[in-house]
Amino acid sequence: MGHWLSIPILGLAAILGSTFIPQIRVFGGQPDLILLLVVSWTILSPLEEAITWAFVGGILADLLSAAPTGTSVIGLIFIAFLIDRIKSQLISVNLLILFGFTLIAVAVQWVSQSVIIAFSGYTIRPFEQFFYTLLPAAIYNVIFVIPVYVFIRRVKRGFSPRRRSRRLVSE
Amino acid sequence: MNSSSFRRGWRSNRAVFFFVSLFVAGALIMASRAGLLTPIENVFATPLNAISGAFQQFALRFSAGLGDLAEFQTLQSRNEELEAALARLQAEVVELREVNNDYARLTQLLDYVTGTQAQEFLTADVISVDQTSAIRSITLNRGSRDGVAIGMPVLTPQGLVGRVIEVGANASRVLLITDLSSFVSARLQTSRSEGSINGQVSGNLLLTFVPLGETLTPGDIILTSGLGGNFPPDLVIGQVTSVSIAELYQEAQVRSLINFDTLEIVLIMTNFQPIDLSAFDEPETGN
Repeated sequence: MGHWLSIPILGLAAILGSTFIPQIRVFGGQPDLILLLVVSWTILSPLEEAITWAFVGGILADLLSAAPTGTSVIGLIFIAFLIDRIKSQLISVNLLILFGFTLIAVAVQWVSQSVIIAFSGYTIRPFEQFFYTLLPAAIYNVIFVIPVYVFIRRVKRGFSPRRRSRRLVSE
Repeated sequence: MNSSSFRRGWRSNRAVFFFVSLFVAGALIMASRAGLLTPIENVFATPLNAISGAFQQFALRFSAGLGDLAEFQTLQSRNEELEAALARLQAEVVELREVNNDYARLTQLLDYVTGTQAQEFLTADVISVDQTSAIRSITLNRGSRDGVAIGMPVLTPQGLVGRVIEVGANASRVLLITDLSSFVSARLQTSRSEGSINGQVSGNLLLTFVPLGETLTPGDIILTSGLGGNFPPDLVIGQVTSVSIAELYQEAQVRSLINFDTLEIVLIMTNFQPIDLSAFDEPETGN
């Protein structure tokens, strides 16, 4: 179910990301809903589902962008594997770890996108963009990750079989 | 080993799974850059663009509502300023109409058709904004079915917006002049000095390569020069806000009159074809 849920949720996020979200842009930075959804889903789900979300989210974002299709996917795959690796060493995920994951994800996605976009023939100025787009985006994403994580947790609970029914089945 | 256990097997090996995923993503990028995915991208982008178009209308209304609330206190003083400006401009309009009449008569005499008179436009709605922070582009609801082609200039009555870089059947993507990759040959309206307009990370414009001896002052209007053949001449780009001197030339910060974040409707100049200068490129010698 987690695989199929990615399409409507990430589809809506992609559309919001290219319509409503640019209206609240500060300097060059804006929250990246797809990135936050992939981070949250990776924390709460197995790696296979996270990779599906990375592919679906990345492709949807790129369809609404001038960047080649797949540009956002690479960074999201790195993020999914990295978070999955780190979370396997943790007992639980608290707020600080959630913020840490978000900041790592923003940095990985920015580096990955910048490299691919530069190779695609577009101009990038890493030093200027670091201050003008990456820092505001990082702050925005740290703020937005809380509601996104709560939303994904509720979705997961809503679509997962309840413990009680599992116990009944085992009886 | 049956097929499902084989699938589970290679996915359980994290390293293999990681490299296979990266390989697939890399292949997607290569195929997209080569244009092999264009038909598939068009199929999937069509419904996304349609829904984005509907959302964009709400987004702009929402943004305008917030902006109005924020600016409510300054509206009265701005209104007074604008009324004074209107009165001044009305006087100028009368004067310019006279000049225009003279010009039209002279042009007729010379049997000279200006570019402005020959321009044909197609209106288009902005349906989405690029969410990749490294690229500044917008998507329009007009495509090849409407006669849009790569390279066509896009503008509003306030000035130049950008040029078409990708065309689908019923949507097209426009690279804004504020993008870092955008260079536009420019000319100062008063002194006719040449320069180049380049997008900045901040979203502003920078006029560069203006010769040191030329007069460049805040308030000067910047137009397209037409050099290079990418844009027709005399389209308004913006207004100089500050001037600085580099080592070998002058630079100026230029403010466009367009708010690129809240663009709603634009005009595509459909009868302008950019000039292909690749024929003049030096052939490789193979040394």
